[in-house]
Amino acid sequence: MPLTRRDKLITYLVVGPFAIVLAFPFYWMLQTSLKSDLDLYNVENVPFGFGDGSPTLDNYRFLFEDTQYARWLLNTVLVALAVVLITLVIAMPAGYALARLSGGWGQTLGVGIFLVYLVPPTLLFLPLSRVIAELGLQDRLASLVVVYPGFTIPFATWLMMGFFKSIPRELEDAALVDGASRLKTLVRIVLPISLPGILTVVIFTFALCVNEFVYAIAFITASDSKVVSTGIYTELIRGDVFYWGALMAATLIPAIPLALLYNTFLDRFIAGFTGGAFR
Amino acid sequence: MEVVAVSRRRRRHLLEERRFLAAALIAPAVLFVGLLVGAPLILSVYLSLTDATAGSLTGDFVGFRNFTEQWSDPNFRTALRNTIVFTLLANAIIVVGAAILAHYLVRDFRGKWFLRFLILLPWAAPVALSTIGFLWIFDSLFSVVNWVLIHLSLVDEFNPPQWLGEPNKALAAITTVHAWRLLPFATVIMIAGLASIPKEVDDAAKVDGATGLRKLWYVTLPLQLPIATIAVLFGIVFTATDMAVVYILTRGGPFNSTQMLPMWAFQTGIQAGSLGQGAAIALFLLPALAVVTVLMLLFARRVEVT
Amino acid sequence: MADTPQDVERTTRREVLRRAGVGGLLIVYGGALPKTSAAGVPKYRHKELAGTLRIIQWSHFVPAYDKWFDDIYVKRWGQANDTEVVVDHINQADIPARAAAEVAAQRGHDLFFFLSPPAAYEDQVLDHSDIVQEVTKKRGKMKNVAFKATYNPKTKKYFAFSDNYVPDPVNYRTDLWGEAGFRPTSWDNVFKAAPKLRAMGHPIGIGMSNEIDSNMALMAMMMCFGSFIQNKEQRVVLNSKGTVEALKFARELYRQGMSNEIFAWTASSNNQAMVAGRLSMAMNAISITRTAEGTNPDLAAKISLLPIPSGPNGRLGLEHVMGAYVIWKFASNKAAAKKFLVDLETKYIGAFENSKFYNFPSWPASVPNIDRRVARDPVAKPPGKYKVLAEIAEKYTLNPGWPGNTNAAIDEIFNKFLIPQMFAEVAQGKRTPEEAARVYDRSFRGIFQRWRNRGKI
Repeated sequence: MPLTRRDKLITYLVVGPFAIVLAFPFYWMLQTSLKSDLDLYNVENVPFGFGDGSPTLDNYRFLFEDTQYARWLLNTVLVALAVVLITLVIAMPAGYALARLSGGWGQTLGVGIFLVYLVPPTLLFLPLSRVIAELGLQDRLASLVVVYPGFTIPFATWLMMGFFKSIPRELEDAALVDGASRLKTLVRIVLPISLPGILTVVIFTFALCVNEFVYAIAFITASDSKVVSTGIYTELIRGDVFYWGALMAATLIPAIPLALLYNTFLDRFIAGFTGGAFR
Repeated sequence: MEVVAVSRRRRRHLLEERRFLAAALIAPAVLFVGLLVGAPLILSVYLSLTDATAGSLTGDFVGFRNFTEQWSDPNFRTALRNTIVFTLLANAIIVVGAAILAHYLVRDFRGKWFLRFLILLPWAAPVALSTIGFLWIFDSLFSVVNWVLIHLSLVDEFNPPQWLGEPNKALAAITTVHAWRLLPFATVIMIAGLASIPKEVDDAAKVDGATGLRKLWYVTLPLQLPIATIAVLFGIVFTATDMAVVYILTRGGPFNSTQMLPMWAFQTGIQAGSLGQGAAIALFLLPALAVVTVLMLLFARRVEVT
Repeated sequence: MADTPQDVERTTRREVLRRAGVGGLLIVYGGALPKTSAAGVPKYRHKELAGTLRIIQWSHFVPAYDKWFDDIYVKRWGQANDTEVVVDHINQADIPARAAAEVAAQRGHDLFFFLSPPAAYEDQVLDHSDIVQEVTKKRGKMKNVAFKATYNPKTKKYFAFSDNYVPDPVNYRTDLWGEAGFRPTSWDNVFKAAPKLRAMGHPIGIGMSNEIDSNMALMAMMMCFGSFIQNKEQRVVLNSKGTVEALKFARELYRQGMSNEIFAWTASSNNQAMVAGRLSMAMNAISITRTAEGTNPDLAAKISLLPIPSGPNGRLGLEHVMGAYVIWKFASNKAAAKKFLVDLETKYIGAFENSKFYNFPSWPASVPNIDRRVARDPVAKPPGKYKVLAEIAEKYTLNPGWPGNTNAAIDEIFNKFLIPQMFAEVAQGKRTPEEAARVYDRSFRGIFQRWRNRGKI
């Protein structure tokens, strides 16, 4: 149903300011990243404009040439992808089982899953450091790949559980009647329909991985194995000197593609979430 | 031949066996989470009952002293109070903001994709990095917020507000960052909730003459309640257990007035080396949060309108 | 029989899954493959080096130091000692987290660098006495400040090896102070000049935030007023007239001559404010002047250095930071680690020069003619500006916790930023000086008692 002009106006009046306020810090990061140090650290200069030496791509150049930023970006993506894979492989069957096969257990486990998130990682990283070291994974990216599923699987399972519950049983029962085994049913019938749900899990897991930094600091110190969040801290903040221009550039670069990605899949993502978040 | 066929059938039956299959499918997940979360949690509980220091995973048993000692420490009480206040305040903002935003974003209009992109940015950026962005925005000397205020002649040029240096302003700054970061996330969840309202309900409401505000109150909100509860629950969990924002913006300052429990636990247990105490502080909120979680999930289930 | 569409579908899906699985495996496995040395490829590729030495230290604020250390010094040492040396860097603020993680893991680097004496980790490290003795044999006695900061008299153990410390001068604007008619040689002068300077738009900048500069500046100021956290016997003596005086002074100084920003500072804030031309005085190592020399040479010429202002109890200062290496009990290459430290310290000239005089050697004899070196700095404007550093290092640098040792309780107080907290509360009127002295004295006693129970004090 098309909106009336009045409705459209109100919509823009409401959504517009929200978008401006939410996105302003990123505009500010962009602005700062294009400034030269001389311009940036001069209190007299108007921050919204460009002074002597600006605009400049020096900060971006510094980021990609004098630090291992590109490597950190790659590491972040690799870790996230690996974790997404592991999470899907483990959470989907578990979610299915909880939705279909375990009767009343589903609810209790659903609650239990949330409880996992209540323990702050601020201290969990110590015992985990021991585990990582015993596995010989200290200072390796694989350490993150092993640990992150610990907090992505519960949520993914819960999501998939809700999603599977919303898929009508008749579909599966029909296949069962036809003589297919349960496993076959799962793969051939349920999997294709669950694509939105899978997408949801992928996006959430990706977001959770990219945001994590306590474990990344504790487990990895080799510069070429760092992820974006921790590498920034080491190279762009030296003692008491902050390289603000480069810092802002560094923040901007991952945010934009990720936001584009999420935005593109948002509608499917929503379908996946409502597929049955909690029914 | 016969034997093979029988055993194959037997195996098939086993896989068909509901409970076996269920257990087999759930086992990896439980194992993973048990090892990576459960075991460290138990170890943390053990540590909180000892006087372990400086990363050592063992210590002398001291009973509940680490817990009882906290009450006499004003910094701990501040951290506890702040955790509750930040969480509630930020989430209030988030829920209201998300509800409003979601209401308008389900409509179709020109520029929706672009505006949505802008709105998603805070959630897409890694928290450690976007918080550094705010550190710069609130910088004691170069804050753009202050620059604007100064040039609107609203504040004194030589003594502009210190967003991270005065307790109340610092609290406001931290709450703002939390709300800013989670608003997109909550909005998306709310949109999902709105999208799941069946068309029949929508049509019925129109037939009954419920539009605008009335529709919002009598139809949309009640239907949104379950999913809104979930959104709030996530928001609470992500805010109350977050350390990154405080760590980067204020380190708990000014004079430890913006401490939150996860940050104070870190500062005590890791940076100051009193590991047993740090563990106790980190675990303090656990029972309260658990109760809140259970209650909210039960509530969500109860108010579900099928 | 031709493949049904379903068969084709099944095959393709299986293919995808298989490929994805292999891909995933590769990713995980790739992440687990051994890494090349972070310091670059060893020079003699074909030659298998006998051992490995893993070092972790902070990202030095002078990037040139890290370049020299990582690319030149350790490579040279590595070749001479048939060892592959790997150097990892970490942000100064994240050092405690990683240290704790390595201890919990019982595995990590052979040499771990702290920016302040890690008294709390005493049980996790070797006794560094043999290294200290070795260097003492070659270079004479270590400086008292380094000794009292790394030695535990109760357990008779050197819990760290200090290779360097950083003197903490006052940085002030000669032009502005000239206008005000004073020099910051005494806290009294500072107090008199402060209102004038602030009225000019250039306040004094002594932080009261949860960061390292605030900790050092305030603890040093306390000592000038006769206020001490502990006495020589490691007993808490905070609640004293001196403390009340110091708190009162700081409060009045804030009210008359500083601005609110001091409560919001990070370690870089006083640098930034000074280099931007705003502050008239700051207490910081030479990172301020060195940064200014790079970005704003005209301003750098107007910033001069002096020792800490004198107070009623005299002129007592602290080190700004102290480099302290530890060797974990579980380190894999202890022998190489020890030799590395000995070699580093006995010939400290390279480190001293490449850090642009930031790192002062803990064994003064390791860098001969320090006075002449600092006086001859080529970039200094006005020339000879850094001469005073030698004097500060010689006479006005004490250890945190003086007159006692830098023990685990001092370390804890330091890491929880309790001193800046105390000062900030008084400055903002939340507590009276007397009340603050009392309350914090009690709180510190609790901390000391806990560590005493653990047998460390």
